[in-house]
Amino acid sequence: MERKQPDLVLIVARSFATKLATPTLIADAHGDLVYFNDAAAELIGRSYLDVGKLPATRWQELFEPRTFDEQPLTAEQTPSGIALLERRPVHGSFAFRGLDGRDREITVTAFPLLSQPEEAVGVMSVFWELPAAP
Amino acid sequence: MIVRVWGARGSLSAPGPATVGYGGNTSCIEVELADDTTLILDAGSGIRELGQRLLDRDRGTLHICLTHLHLDHVEGLGFFGPLWKTGWKLRFWGPPSTTATLRERVSRYLSPPLFPVGLSEAPAEVTFEDVPREPWRVGSAIIEAQTVEHRGPTVGYRIEEDGHVLAYLPDHEPYLTAALEDEPQWISGWALAAGADFLFHDSQYTQDEYAQRLGWGHSSAAHAAAFARAAGVRRLAMFHHDPMRSDRELEVLYDEVAEAVQGDQEQPLIAREGLEVVLG
Repeated sequence: MERKQPDLVLIVARSFATKLATPTLIADAHGDLVYFNDAAAELIGRSYLDVGKLPATRWQELFEPRTFDEQPLTAEQTPSGIALLERRPVHGSFAFRGLDGRDREITVTAFPLLSQPEEAVGVMSVFWELPAAP
Repeated sequence: MIVRVWGARGSLSAPGPATVGYGGNTSCIEVELADDTTLILDAGSGIRELGQRLLDRDRGTLHICLTHLHLDHVEGLGFFGPLWKTGWKLRFWGPPSTTATLRERVSRYLSPPLFPVGLSEAPAEVTFEDVPREPWRVGSAIIEAQTVEHRGPTVGYRIEEDGHVLAYLPDHEPYLTAALEDEPQWISGWALAAGADFLFHDSQYTQDEYAQRLGWGHSSAAHAAAFARAAGVRRLAMFHHDPMRSDRELEVLYDEVAEAVQGDQEQPLIAREGLEVVLG
């Protein structure tokens, strides 16, 4: 029997996210998307049950993150990527394409999940959709 | 591997006629390995009597694996005979903390004003180590420790010898982390208990009590049974009995758990002082 499982900090973060009404996304230490909650599904355009775990490269391709002036963002340039790589909280805004094909502008607060002072086991990203320009 | 229960009560010692059947001493389990190595799981008040028995043996090394440092898991240390005799080596393992060493944390209890004598005055040779992140060998067993859902730094243990597995999660609230019916890898403690032959698991509450104490770090007996099912445990022992629970009330709680047994699972049991289980 394969007995591997995520670090408890990631497990508890995921559990916390399931209970939040704020859109929240959880990625693991590799940047792979391991969960987003129902509130996030409203913006992403599909539920996590439909999408499942996504490697870091894949969810970047799917969501096409970009600046408001249409410059593509790499995974390392998104708030989630910076928070994970630099182990610090990050707040930023960008645009992405939902899996329902709709473009959205969001602001994100991302912070690393540290199980030990020097060990990030993942990142939690909380985000809000920006109001459409008048 | 021979497993003996010296204390199965949770939170507070509860001696008296209403608890004499299953016992009132707090968490302590002795594990005797095939090569005669002795492991001790937690140091609740049950360790006092175990210590008296150990004094009859040749002095040697004892491995004391602490799940966490709540009082009901360390309160027996001050009266643990081998600690107060020269010639014994006590090797403590416990959960890591970002703020203090294991020795410093245990010493908070074994020092004034909570205890008259300091740990540094103990004649035994005492060492403290955070549990390794990877499985490690002690005697003829491989031990694995992982942090589990409970208030404060807490680990559970998995002890494997010759293909037989004992899992010990006395204080654990897995229901907080995931639905216990699916996605087992997201359930706290699952990897420690997966496929175990025998599991001691927190079963402190009834379902009604749990609803009033959500997030306190403990499980209902029904959740313990669901966790054991999710992990494919062969036999569950209800553990960490509520100090307010009489023997009769424990048996009523047991009936609820026993009805939920499925598949290859053996009937659960209520851990009691004096219980001896042989694995292998």
